[in-house]
Amino acid sequence: MDFLLIFGIYPYFCIMEIFSHGKVKKLERQHMPEVSKQTGFPSPATHYMEPKISLEQELVTNNDATFYVRVDSNALEEFNILKNDVLIIDRSLYPKKNSLVMVVIDGEFKVIRIELEAKEKEVTLWGVITYVIHACK
Amino acid sequence: MIALVDCNSFYASCELVFRPDLIGRPVVVLSNNDGCVIAANKEAKALADIPMFQPVFKIKKELIANKVVFFSSNYTLYGEMSQRVVNILKTFSSKVEVYSIDESFIDLSTVPHEELETFGHQIKNTIYRLTGLPVGVGIAKTKVLSKLANKMSKKIPNKNHVCVINSDDDRVEALKWSPVTSIWGIGKKHSERVIAIGVATAYDFTQLPLAWVRKEMTVVGECIWRELRGESVMEFITEPKKKKAIGTAKSFGKKLESLDIIEEACSYYVGEVAEVLRTQNSCASAIHVFLVTNFFSMRDKQYSNSITVKLAMPTNDTFVLVTEAKKALHLIYKEGYKYKKVGVNLLGITPEEYVQGNLFKIPTESKKALTKVVDELNVKFGKLKVSSALVGTRVKEWELIKEERSPRYTTQWKEILTLKDK
Repeated sequence: MDFLLIFGIYPYFCIMEIFSHGKVKKLERQHMPEVSKQTGFPSPATHYMEPKISLEQELVTNNDATFYVRVDSNALEEFNILKNDVLIIDRSLYPKKNSLVMVVIDGEFKVIRIELEAKEKEVTLWGVITYVIHACK
Repeated sequence: MIALVDCNSFYASCELVFRPDLIGRPVVVLSNNDGCVIAANKEAKALADIPMFQPVFKIKKELIANKVVFFSSNYTLYGEMSQRVVNILKTFSSKVEVYSIDESFIDLSTVPHEELETFGHQIKNTIYRLTGLPVGVGIAKTKVLSKLANKMSKKIPNKNHVCVINSDDDRVEALKWSPVTSIWGIGKKHSERVIAIGVATAYDFTQLPLAWVRKEMTVVGECIWRELRGESVMEFITEPKKKKAIGTAKSFGKKLESLDIIEEACSYYVGEVAEVLRTQNSCASAIHVFLVTNFFSMRDKQYSNSITVKLAMPTNDTFVLVTEAKKALHLIYKEGYKYKKVGVNLLGITPEEYVQGNLFKIPTESKKALTKVVDELNVKFGKLKVSSALVGTRVKEWELIKEERSPRYTTQWKEILTLKDK
């Protein structure tokens, strides 16, 4: 790989390794007991009830590796990230080509897009940006 | 085999995950109300001329001169990050014993011996990748040996934070490496005793006759002796024991003189501990209250006192406990002193189902229902939002000042990390 991503900040500097362990676990959906709460006719929906859609269920694959970051400026407009947007960052993911990632360069957080072109550059990966929450106000 | 996984300079490491700008600088975390240094990173510990883990006012000048970065403790953050680590450990083994906020034992009996070291590195790398927290992994046949392996993983540079005591030769080598003073579970008094009879290393200790160890150091000593010899005697505890005593004591944000504000603080703490009591379904049969002035202050008059009151009947009812604690406080409070700290301990803790009704005091179901509703409301709306009116509302006056506390990055939307343009 031309693009050398150094994993971790300190004190371990190790090149990315792929492990089968610590695999991402999907959030488990809660099972709802099948009890009708109606006093007259039992609800015909009783056996078809499911938990309501939850945003976290869709947007977060690994809770233990997920962090949220608010953007305080319009400096990331080129990535369609605007002021006050919230980035969902998953540290468990390995970046691919074109992944949007948060990195640390000289002690500062930066958002960059991974390009696998012939470029020799060392940055410390902090996490992969999976979603951007944007308010339409 | 058992692994002990522990986070390096845990509190400081939690802070650094969100503050990469501070990496490489000495960082310390202060105790509640900024009394003492309770955690320091590698760089801070390296400042050998500063005695760490001291009341801060004694070393403040040195800390500032060395550009040490301070944080007040942010237990909300540390607790949440700790939970992440535990959850990740559970993907590696079905048996995880959470020993403390930054240490867990995990059972690796299903991992083949030759793969243990690789496995240890996988654990370390995965936790680091997912959370940003550096950990050390010690793997051995028993808990005490895994603790020793963990220590070696940090102290011996080429171990790279993972150390496996796999064979008997490894074990003997490790024992000879470890001074007897640093064996887990052997206190200062006992290590002085064994040093006096010529024991220097952990290995020497294991060569003592069992009868001597048992006689001089009780069953605890025997247990460590056996564990160090590779005989696993300490059980794996996956469910925490119900606590025998629950207490809390914190310093006030400023010195307090008047009884009614101290009363409010005291009631607040009772509320906290009573909640713990109810979550583990137990009752307290006595309550211990203590009150102290600031003994570090040269100017102020000093006074401290404590009192234990037996309750008419074991209870976990905040309302009863608050009333009793206040009565107790009245007995020990003296006017004219500047108080620094009040604390409550609940003692004689028994399971709720064993509590027998006193002839004159029959437990009332309605009170129980009320308490339950209060607990539920507090879970929903935040800590101690609903409480006995005795608790009062002047929390701010006596609660800890959390000046240098970092944002609660992982539990509060208003405090999440912000990406600023520079």
